[in-house]
Amino acid sequence: MKTCRLLAATIVAVGFVVVSAHAASAKPAGEAQEQCIRKLEGGGAIDDCQKAPSLITPAKNELIWGALSFLVVFGALAKFAYPAIKTSMETRANRIRETLDDADRAKNEAQSILDEYQRQLADARSESNRIIEEARQTADQLRRDLVARAEQEAQDLRQRTQEDIGAAQQRAMADLQTQVRDLTIELTEKVVGRSLDRDTNRALIDGYIAELERS
Amino acid sequence: MSGSDRISAYADALFEVARAEGSLGRVEDELFSVARTIETNDALRDALTDQAIPIERRQGIVEDLLGGRASATTTALVGFVIAAGRARDLAKIIDRLVEKAAESRSEEVAEVRSAVPLDDDQRERLASALSKHTGKKVSLKVVVDPSILGGIVAQVGDTVIDGSVRRRLEQLKEQL
Repeated sequence: MKTCRLLAATIVAVGFVVVSAHAASAKPAGEAQEQCIRKLEGGGAIDDCQKAPSLITPAKNELIWGALSFLVVFGALAKFAYPAIKTSMETRANRIRETLDDADRAKNEAQSILDEYQRQLADARSESNRIIEEARQTADQLRRDLVARAEQEAQDLRQRTQEDIGAAQQRAMADLQTQVRDLTIELTEKVVGRSLDRDTNRALIDGYIAELERS
Repeated sequence: MSGSDRISAYADALFEVARAEGSLGRVEDELFSVARTIETNDALRDALTDQAIPIERRQGIVEDLLGGRASATTTALVGFVIAAGRARDLAKIIDRLVEKAAESRSEEVAEVRSAVPLDDDQRERLASALSKHTGKKVSLKVVVDPSILGGIVAQVGDTVIDGSVRRRLEQLKEQL
């Protein structure tokens, strides 16, 4: 509808300009001749009749018609074309504004997504650093534990070895003592068995009986 | 009949036979010596308890062992126990018989081990000393046991009085 109104106003304005221009240019040729005669009769030269019109300043009637045409065209355009152009411009401005708003929103969203990604990236980097640090600490702790355990086991082994050696020495000493004792007793038995003749044995028995009688 | 009852029954039978024969004291001593000999002689114990050897052969061993050195009653009683198939319980039967004989005299058996035989004076003094020591009248049963080396070991009931050289040596061994 707006396009139709704009087209109609344009056609009217163009038609009016053409008509007015035609009217302005339709000056009768006899009028110029009469003016020239009057100039010659008034004592003017022929050159005054052949004076060319000004290239800058239009003729008065052209100026009047041009001003009227301009006003008419201006009024028609103001009446019919301006609202449509204004509406179209507003629509276009709104569309551009919406587009800009959408672009802003998209930009904001992209920025927020970028921020989120950057934050996540920072978090991931921080997490990875933390994990690496923990892994390093765990590895250090594990290494320290292994070294401590190895040292402890070595210490235990040394201690057990010392204890085993000590126990073996004690066993050897005990065995030696037992063997010496048994040998001593065995020799004593042999000596006693040979020295205990019948009379000695009887004396022993008498002593035992006497001790029993006293108790 | 339990094993303990059976041993008591055989001991009663042997006791009655010995008392009826009027030689209880001698038979008791001889049987006691037989029991200790069987205890300390593994070969003799194995021979008398071996079921593969006929009873007559085992009785022959007893007669060869005791013939001339023990009374006929003692030899007959040991042969009777072996013929009854109780050779394995012979020592316990004899011990029970000795206890029973001592009880019949209101005495308690004092088993004395000595490296050498005791003379009568020593027997009398030892029996007196043990009676005084235990507060009971004792019936002395002496076993010659060279393994104690010297001195004597007396056992009355559950009381053991060890005055042997073997014991002294063991004490010395413990101290060492």
